[in-house]
Amino acid sequence: MPTFVVVGANLAGATAAATLRSEGFDGRLVLIGEEPLPPYERPPLSKEYLRDEQPLERGWIRPPSFWEENEVETRFGTRVQRVDTADRTAVLAGGERIAFDAALIATGCRNRRLRLPGIDLPGVLELRTAADADRIKAAAARARKAVVVGAGFIGSEVAASLRGLGLDVALVEFATTPLERVLGAELGRVIEGLHRDHGVELFLGEAAERFEGAGRFEALLTTAGRRIEGDFAVVGVGVEPVTDVVSDTDVRVDDGVLVDATLETSVPGIYAAGDVARHDHPVFGPIRVEHFDNAMKMGEVAGRNMLGRGEVFDDAHWFWSDQYDAQIQMSGSATTWDQIVFRGRVEERSFAAFMLKDGVLRSAFSMNWKFDVRRAMPLIKAKVRPDPKRLEDPEFDLRTLAPPKEPA
Amino acid sequence: MANWVRVGEAGEVADGEVSSFSVGDRTVAIANLGGDLHAFDDVCTHQQCSLSEGELDGTVIECPCHGSQFDIMTGEVVEGPATEPIDVFEAREEAGELQVSLE
Repeated sequence: MPTFVVVGANLAGATAAATLRSEGFDGRLVLIGEEPLPPYERPPLSKEYLRDEQPLERGWIRPPSFWEENEVETRFGTRVQRVDTADRTAVLAGGERIAFDAALIATGCRNRRLRLPGIDLPGVLELRTAADADRIKAAAARARKAVVVGAGFIGSEVAASLRGLGLDVALVEFATTPLERVLGAELGRVIEGLHRDHGVELFLGEAAERFEGAGRFEALLTTAGRRIEGDFAVVGVGVEPVTDVVSDTDVRVDDGVLVDATLETSVPGIYAAGDVARHDHPVFGPIRVEHFDNAMKMGEVAGRNMLGRGEVFDDAHWFWSDQYDAQIQMSGSATTWDQIVFRGRVEERSFAAFMLKDGVLRSAFSMNWKFDVRRAMPLIKAKVRPDPKRLEDPEFDLRTLAPPKEPA
Repeated sequence: MANWVRVGEAGEVADGEVSSFSVGDRTVAIANLGGDLHAFDDVCTHQQCSLSEGELDGTVIECPCHGSQFDIMTGEVVEGPATEPIDVFEAREEAGELQVSLE
């Protein structure tokens, strides 16, 4: 009877394990995760869960009883030390060794740590796990002001949630706008306005230099020489893929575990999915994505491909972010573009934006605007060259540009 | 036995459209597919968003919040993150009324 091991009990890993069972895999299946909890969704941690609007239980990826009912052996609260590719064995902290026929690396990312004076002071917090979110909630409950370092998705969402809880918030970002790396400066300025209008003190173009306090965080010093006082700080300055388990093996690593279009690594039978996987995408080229929908869909495809399906993963990528009353969505992937086309009303924060490069639609963004970001996905996948004049027109239905659907 | 409840006027949901209606303490969505009416629970089983705000493609409704997809004929999940199906109900137009049965 074959044994499959999934390293990482997160969205990608748990979805892969559930998919293996729903696709009929009846061998031994072991799901291993470092956190003591059953697999849960992380998006609420910076939003609904942080604001105490919903319990963690609403975000179970499967009901906790699912794993036993489906004969998935779980090792929650256990770290995998290494995946030995020569012996095809997973070596767990504590010494357990599990020989496998196929394995999935779904180790995700860890937060990037700033090596700055005072970073280890109590009251300097970060967000990745439910336990991290609990620490922020506890700090927020007895605080008046928070300092958030980094205006990426985590920093922006945490700032919005803390404002929602009634705290004063200072948000410090090295780039010239929030989310500039993902959205570019033009859309980043829309996010900037959103935060300013909701009373966030925004300090752009300056970075953290030092965390100060007598035994506990009291203030942040920035590279601009500014001193920002607060009762606690949250640092969200990006992430890095957790590839340690396959270091010094034949699994190729370069800013993530490299996988081909079918999510298989350079070692046959070993796959990777989720935030850790740098995937050879048929449309976008090599890409590593740190979003929910991608992790879930990669988990599904990895599960099927561990059973030999050889399915190409070519999803167009989609994610959302909720900040205050703004529902933000984006699909596709573009690091650069030469044209951006708007439809709707940017000044009212109800619009879509389409990013084109050499006339080809590469990504779509929207704020409080229905349908178009999702409708753009098949167009992005098919590399269509839409007429910008039509894109501008809210009455023009993007679906008319979509290639015919592949038969199911 | 079907227990028909009036929720609106006949013709209120046009072909290809989806609308939501309050029925007692729940919200029910009604879709019109080429003249055939299909009712289903408006509340996504993932994070409780309103499905009638989402896009209907054939018999599949897509949640506008996080992309879960459900077949409105059966209630089954077509695509996650939702894992639990939605309830589906009967709807009809009768005597100038739009009616659903939650039985």
